[in-house]
Amino acid sequence: MLNRGVNYKIPRNLLFLFESIALFLMFMYYRNALDRSTIIYGLSLIFIIYISNLILSKIVSGDNYIFLIVTMLASIGIIMIYRINYEQGFKQIIWISLGIVLFFATYFIVKRIKGWEKLFLYYCLASVFLFLATLLLGRRFKGAINWISIGGISFQPTEIIKILAILMIASYYTNYDRFKEKKWGRYYLIGIMYLFVFFLFLQRDLGSVLIFCSLFLALQYIYDENRKLVLANIVVLMFSGLLGYVIFPHVRIRFETWINPWEYIDTIGYQITQSLFAISEGGFFGTGLGLGHPDFIPEVSKDFIFSAICEEMGILTGIGVIMLFMILVYRGFKISINQRNKFFRIVALGISILFGIQSFIIFGGVINMIPLTGITIPFVSYGGSSMLSSFIALGILQVASEELDIEED
Amino acid sequence: MFNILSLVFKYVFIVIIYMFIFSIIKLIYLDIKGIRPIPADSGTYLKLINRKDTLPFKVKEYYPLEDNVFLGRGNDNEIVIKDPYISKKHLRIVKDEDEYFLEDLKSANGTYVNGDRVMDVVKLNNGDRISVGQVEFLFVNKE
Repeated sequence: MLNRGVNYKIPRNLLFLFESIALFLMFMYYRNALDRSTIIYGLSLIFIIYISNLILSKIVSGDNYIFLIVTMLASIGIIMIYRINYEQGFKQIIWISLGIVLFFATYFIVKRIKGWEKLFLYYCLASVFLFLATLLLGRRFKGAINWISIGGISFQPTEIIKILAILMIASYYTNYDRFKEKKWGRYYLIGIMYLFVFFLFLQRDLGSVLIFCSLFLALQYIYDENRKLVLANIVVLMFSGLLGYVIFPHVRIRFETWINPWEYIDTIGYQITQSLFAISEGGFFGTGLGLGHPDFIPEVSKDFIFSAICEEMGILTGIGVIMLFMILVYRGFKISINQRNKFFRIVALGISILFGIQSFIIFGGVINMIPLTGITIPFVSYGGSSMLSSFIALGILQVASEELDIEED
Repeated sequence: MFNILSLVFKYVFIVIIYMFIFSIIKLIYLDIKGIRPIPADSGTYLKLINRKDTLPFKVKEYYPLEDNVFLGRGNDNEIVIKDPYISKKHLRIVKDEDEYFLEDLKSANGTYVNGDRVMDVVKLNNGDRISVGQVEFLFVNKE
């Protein structure tokens, strides 16, 4: 407590140092194609991140670590994306800046307005509306319909539904006693979640199916009083997984490439084998930024960004990224344990589980530990919707890290 | 030129990232270490209920109680808490024949035991919640 100001400076300055060196290196790399706006954007991003961390440590009474960790992850991601693709990196800078703005906006809005736990019905309706909109207006992109574009801006509604689903589950279990009195009240949530999973299957978005199922299972396991229902749910999900394997050919393809990617190295296994080559090429310390060939992997800036990081910055950096996620999730759990408001307790837990599951699925996927499903690493991968929704989730987590009940008195 | 820089910087990056992780883990460790175990020798103490890092001033996790303890903002008290909502001499806890009594010393913002404002003197029982200013304590008496 005494030298609090001094202590917080160390990671903040390290982050600043890391970004400065990396940006300098990137400017060297693109020295022939460098224009003024790129330099200004790059420098302003470093400035924004530094200032936000500084402001945050002054104004919030809650957790000070999560935003630091996340900005470190985002910095590693942006450096890698910028190195792979000049234009994507440029866009990503804008997404991160917007994300930080949204983080602060979410923080203030969620904190000011009371009564988030009473909106169960609205969360449901909004999610169902977004699902229907995706199915009706959606574009098919690499086998999955999960993009809609309105007025030139395209986004993934699933990313928003993830947050809505967490809020919905939390409001359900906060008002569990009230729901229990109704005849089918105990089964409301499970019904809605199956509806969501059904919608996602229609969209053929397997990664999201996995995220929603595990998120729901984890929260149900912790909060549901009806243990038989939890068991039944696990059994049903296992059977629907098997059924999905039999019915849908694209599920089978994922499974077969997982078992033996080398057999399909020219076709469906190309991506995963290239990813494995890239990781092994890097070794412990990596080839050095700009000296590897991460562009051999298709979709490298989105799903396979982790392989690119491992190739050019080394397995050690890859382990570092995983450790950063571990600390982030640990902090999320600690926030949840300390929170006395039940709604925000569940929300904090849900968001931490979301970050944990999402990063586990894709880290496991690219190293061929579990079957590959294309989802983004929160805060690291290229992509506007994912970045913005992750920062919104982080804003809610930041609110949950504060003492909420006392302020109401 | 670029290749050499890149080769050198890759080690620098790894060092910085690990130093960053280490410094955050250290901060978290200090945060956890702040929760000290209950002092074994004293059977009666005040335990802080608020989370320590939510308060903008210095406050300890545990305050052992003796026969006569003053709490306030002034430096001559046994328990000093620099909360602006706490008066210079805010309250007194006295031990009398194995019973503890809390006396509010005409403080501006008052003292609350289990949510009720203390008008004069009140007897403390194990598990009572005492709130002064922005701080909330739990009264623990194991004797």
